[in-house]
Amino acid sequence: MSEKGTLFDDEFLKKLEYLNLVSNHMIPGHMHGEHRAKKKTDSGIEFADYRQYVPGEDTKNVDWRTYLRLDKLILRLFEEEADLPIYIFFDASGSMEYGDPVKFDYARKIAAALCYVGLLNQDRVNLVGFADGIAHELSARRGKHQVWHAFRFLEAAESHGATAMEKAFKAFFSSRRRRGLVVVVSDFLDEQGFSRAFDMLRYFKQDLFAVHIHTPEEAHPDLPDEVLLEDAELGTSQRVRVTPALLEAYAEQFEEHCEEVGGYCRKNGWGYLRTTTDVPFEDLILQVFRQGRFLK
Amino acid sequence: MIFLGMSAGLIGALLGTTVLAVIYLYWLKPPPQRVVVPSTLLWNRLLKEKKRNTFIDRLRWWLSLMLALTIGLSVAAGIGRPELSSPGRDIRNITVVIDNSATMATFTADGFTRWERAVAHAGRFLRQGSASGKFLILDTSGQAPPGEPGDRRAALEVLAGLTVSLGGVPEFPDLPEVESEVFFISDGVMVDGAPPEATLISVFEPAHNVGITAFGIEALPSEPTRYNAFVQIKNASPVAEQVTLRLSGGDNGGIRDTLTLQAGETRAHLIDLSGFGRGPVRAVVTADSDAFSADDYAYGFLPVRTQTRVALITPGSLYLENVLADQPKLSLEVIRPAQYNALVSADVYIFDRFAPPQAPGGPALLFLPPDAAWLTPTLSVVEVPDAPGWNPAHPVLRFVALEDLRIDRAARIAVPADAAGPRSYADAPGDGAATQIVVGTRALPLILVSDREDRIVRVSFALEDSNFPLQPSFPIFLANALGWLMDEQVALARVPGRVEVPLPRAVVTDLEGNDIVAWPLSDRTVFLAEQPGLYMVAGEGDRRLRVAVNLASTERSSVNDSEIASGEITAAASTALASAEPGPNDELWIFLLLLALVLVVAEWVTYHRRLTI
Repeated sequence: MSEKGTLFDDEFLKKLEYLNLVSNHMIPGHMHGEHRAKKKTDSGIEFADYRQYVPGEDTKNVDWRTYLRLDKLILRLFEEEADLPIYIFFDASGSMEYGDPVKFDYARKIAAALCYVGLLNQDRVNLVGFADGIAHELSARRGKHQVWHAFRFLEAAESHGATAMEKAFKAFFSSRRRRGLVVVVSDFLDEQGFSRAFDMLRYFKQDLFAVHIHTPEEAHPDLPDEVLLEDAELGTSQRVRVTPALLEAYAEQFEEHCEEVGGYCRKNGWGYLRTTTDVPFEDLILQVFRQGRFLK
Repeated sequence: MIFLGMSAGLIGALLGTTVLAVIYLYWLKPPPQRVVVPSTLLWNRLLKEKKRNTFIDRLRWWLSLMLALTIGLSVAAGIGRPELSSPGRDIRNITVVIDNSATMATFTADGFTRWERAVAHAGRFLRQGSASGKFLILDTSGQAPPGEPGDRRAALEVLAGLTVSLGGVPEFPDLPEVESEVFFISDGVMVDGAPPEATLISVFEPAHNVGITAFGIEALPSEPTRYNAFVQIKNASPVAEQVTLRLSGGDNGGIRDTLTLQAGETRAHLIDLSGFGRGPVRAVVTADSDAFSADDYAYGFLPVRTQTRVALITPGSLYLENVLADQPKLSLEVIRPAQYNALVSADVYIFDRFAPPQAPGGPALLFLPPDAAWLTPTLSVVEVPDAPGWNPAHPVLRFVALEDLRIDRAARIAVPADAAGPRSYADAPGDGAATQIVVGTRALPLILVSDREDRIVRVSFALEDSNFPLQPSFPIFLANALGWLMDEQVALARVPGRVEVPLPRAVVTDLEGNDIVAWPLSDRTVFLAEQPGLYMVAGEGDRRLRVAVNLASTERSSVNDSEIASGEITAAASTALASAEPGPNDELWIFLLLLALVLVVAEWVTYHRRLTI
């Protein structure tokens, strides 16, 4: 894990500013995007619809001209934008402490960037670190002034333990949560499998954007002939005689695993982005934006 | 199968150790490298599937083990040098004596030399028989190291290192006291004395040869500054030959003479070298056909005096002045001691009963000099010393007889610690000492010569106190002394081969200025003169010698004086030659090593292609 206070340095902040500008440019007026849940209320600026007046209601929005013409009391309704809840889940299990840069740092940067953009869009952003349950949680925040609070939270987060996504989602969504966008930044190396966890999100009718992180070495490991593989999460070890055929089979297995996660997301109409830690995080964020799910 | 390199027990132990070592290394499981991975989730899935392939893996492991065992056993067996024991190739001990005397360099009609044919025969003898036999190669010039019969390869290596030795005294070598078949390959010219049990293989073939059998440059006793060249030519061919003799050297255009020599005729020539300048002289004989070239040329050095300025510093000596005045090519300046100073310049200084306080700037001849710092001191005066002994080999005393020398009074001078003599000199101009007593004894030296930076001849008596100037040899002594002081010496005569010169730590060069490898040996220097030529030897200080290395030997030029008739070959030799046809190499080590190499390459390739793991 990186040292405290160095993860979100000036350089990082400059990149965030840049990302924010780019996001504004990519979708003009996205602050009032169509995807947002819109309530038709009697307040607001933008006219939305008419409806029948019900006795007892405030008459300030009655359309008197229509009444004169049709002899009916019609209320004018206006649209009011509802804020979008964004739940950013970042993997804080032991498997994320791997690679150079370590996946956990990379995941936190992604979480920080998405959180920053969300807060600037006046969305309600929740940050949740998970391992074999909820490890860290920052309750819903809104507004730009919450950025530093979120950064401090992310910087303080630590990674250890096994991965149990289902348990974490269950614990989080079992308390009443509004429907929103769930962003999961993880390597999805879960002994219990990812599908049950994703099914739970579907059950809670949440929209999902999965960011699948792995290192290049994970996809194509370079191992000596005889090796004792030690699991970073569980601490168990396995003696393996490595052959090119085995490495090839492993690479295929890894690819299969990634395809499985991606395919599941696509099948449910969710967003999925796979990346390696050698890709600059800002490029990844731009890809997230381009997919259109996060910024609308 | 026979193992040549080791005993059966040892080879068994080696093979057993190899097998154990290979198997142990295969069973040895070094602790694997620990690698932390994010999760073994995917690995576990994969390894579960892979367990189905265990049989193939075990097969690969056994294949790899077998490969490693084969490689190890091949190398181990190769070290033991196994040989296939084939019927008809019995184990024999073979000793080959090869004649490498000078006449073996004679060419035969097929364009090869007798030596090359002899080497070919010797190689065939050494390659015959079982490899487990014992082999020894010996030569008549002592080049091959003496020893017991041994390895065939070692004997072949010795054979490859042998060359024809032009010099030395060739003789049949002593045979080791081991029972073996002895083959003597020779042309029968210079070496005899082969034991009766030796099978003689002749490489003799009559050849044409005309050669210089003697060559020398000598001064006339009556006129030491005049030189003659003595050349002796022999026609060793079986027919008469027309021979051209050419003598060249210095600035002279040379002398050319054509003569006809009958078969076996030897003719001597005395050639006046008055027309030649100082320097190397080369004599060459050529004939229409000549199969032996080493005796076709000979070298010498002509030390002709150039115009010499002599300063005689004397209170008055008629003997010296008169004799010196008669010397040719000499410009004499007579100076009284009072008039002498350091500015007097000459090529040679003669001090008569006088010595300057400091050494002159050149070589000097001194008669009874008084004490001076640069000379050893006078210890006493001896009245009527006994008749002295002398060293006639020293150039200063060549042709000088001193039997009748009578001296009334002589100074007993201190002798330098490193002075040599008097003794009989085998090699002119003496041994390596810088100072030599050439007349007198160590207790009473009468004439000392010093070969330091500037040469000095010191006579410890005055001419007036002896009858030396009245001796007939006095002018010769004076001429010799001047010649020696002026470095007017003919070259030392040597034969090709190992040459010793009486100068310590000297540098040797040939006529072209090429350095010749030389080794210091006590107070001498040794070098190898493979070919006739004139060699310059430069010692410490300014000491120099010239060495004329010439074959110049009637025996060596007589290339047809063989006791073996042409083509003569004994029945035993014929059988031996027939059986000495090269056969297949029965030693298997090379094949085993090749097999190991091939398997190592195969293992390497299959390992990198992951076929054997």
